[in-house]
Amino acid sequence: MMHRRMRPNTNLAVAVVAALWLAPACAAPQQAADEQSVATPRTPDGKMDFSGYWAQSGGEGVKADEDGNVTILTRQRPCHPAQECRPAFNFARDSGLRRRMDPNLPLYKPEFWDKVQDLDVNGNAKDLIMKCYPAGLPRVGAPAKIVQTATEIILMYQARAGAADAPPTNTFRVIPIDGRDHDPIRSQDVTPYGDSVGRWEGDTLVIDSVGFTDDTWLGWPGYFHTNNMRVVERLNREGNTLIWQAIVHDPEVLMEPWEMTPVRRTLNPDPKALPVQELHCEDRDLAHIGNRER
Amino acid sequence: MKIWRAWGLAAAVGVLATAPPAGAHHAIIAEYEMSVTKAFKGVMTRFAVINPHVRWFFVETKPDGTKVDWEMSGAGPGALRAAGLMRAFKVGETYEVTFAPVKSGANVGRVRTMKGPDGKVITLFHEDPTNPLNQ
Repeated sequence: MMHRRMRPNTNLAVAVVAALWLAPACAAPQQAADEQSVATPRTPDGKMDFSGYWAQSGGEGVKADEDGNVTILTRQRPCHPAQECRPAFNFARDSGLRRRMDPNLPLYKPEFWDKVQDLDVNGNAKDLIMKCYPAGLPRVGAPAKIVQTATEIILMYQARAGAADAPPTNTFRVIPIDGRDHDPIRSQDVTPYGDSVGRWEGDTLVIDSVGFTDDTWLGWPGYFHTNNMRVVERLNREGNTLIWQAIVHDPEVLMEPWEMTPVRRTLNPDPKALPVQELHCEDRDLAHIGNRER
Repeated sequence: MKIWRAWGLAAAVGVLATAPPAGAHHAIIAEYEMSVTKAFKGVMTRFAVINPHVRWFFVETKPDGTKVDWEMSGAGPGALRAAGLMRAFKVGETYEVTFAPVKSGANVGRVRTMKGPDGKVITLFHEDPTNPLNQ
């Protein structure tokens, strides 16, 4: 009798702990309100000004103890006593679960469901970021630093824990924002980030991109796309908050356009902060992968 | 009843007190035998600060004089950068290394500890799940 009464409390504790661990961090509402209460800067010609560093340049790390020893231990969700457990076990599996549990998914046509599942299951071998291939658009996510002029916007990217599947190695995009049409040659190219042109819709900067390779994925769980994909990004700013959203149009494989969940970034308040210079990527792992765990 | 409630509370504290690094390039448990510990002592021949994981290369000299090459993987460059360790490793010096070996059987591993000639130990690993708050 006592044991049966204990079991629901244990399951509840595990569920609460898991939910806390797996749920994305929630921004403090008051902090968000403070950032948006700041006046939104504009350029001399009255346009929304997106210039700024919208990321962190690294924080304080672990310090040495009094003997000069340094201990950096990656922590994970504690294991349930009945769970098979070893170092990095929950760390690795929670990472995969977290990527798949987003309720906002691209809706593939039924004839492609098997392909998505195959790519997901065999991602160690089939996801090209494992071989240091660029993340591509929109998988690269929101930009880390923006430089905006009257005629173009320069988006620069850096790795951010949890936001991208692979470190975008010194990636940048230079995008004209004068309302021009796509270049007829560049728009027929096959690149990870496509050919991009921008235009203003009120205070929203809309960036339209075509000309993609089909080697990149939309996301980690096998979300492939065709080279006829079109990505529309929308940039907005509220005070010191940048809002980036991507909408993926790929009617050959998707049942409807995929409106990705908007990403919010806060302006780095340090005027001296600089983006992190990424180091090159080198695949030295695939030869030693022993199973399909991802 | 009290024991289980205490465990649940302690686990929640552990979760709230430490945030797991996210965005693993691939599952470590697919590549390494994380519950196994091996060791060697060797001279560092190269320290490669690369993505997604930094690499240290060593040559071990066995008692019979044979040479064995080792390749150790560690955290991403960002973790070392934040801890101020980007220049802590010296090529040509001897290190005592413990590691989790790769599943492929090659002389490759995920570093656990590195003890340098100055006696200081750098630990770069994942916590022991049997001691989740490292207490």
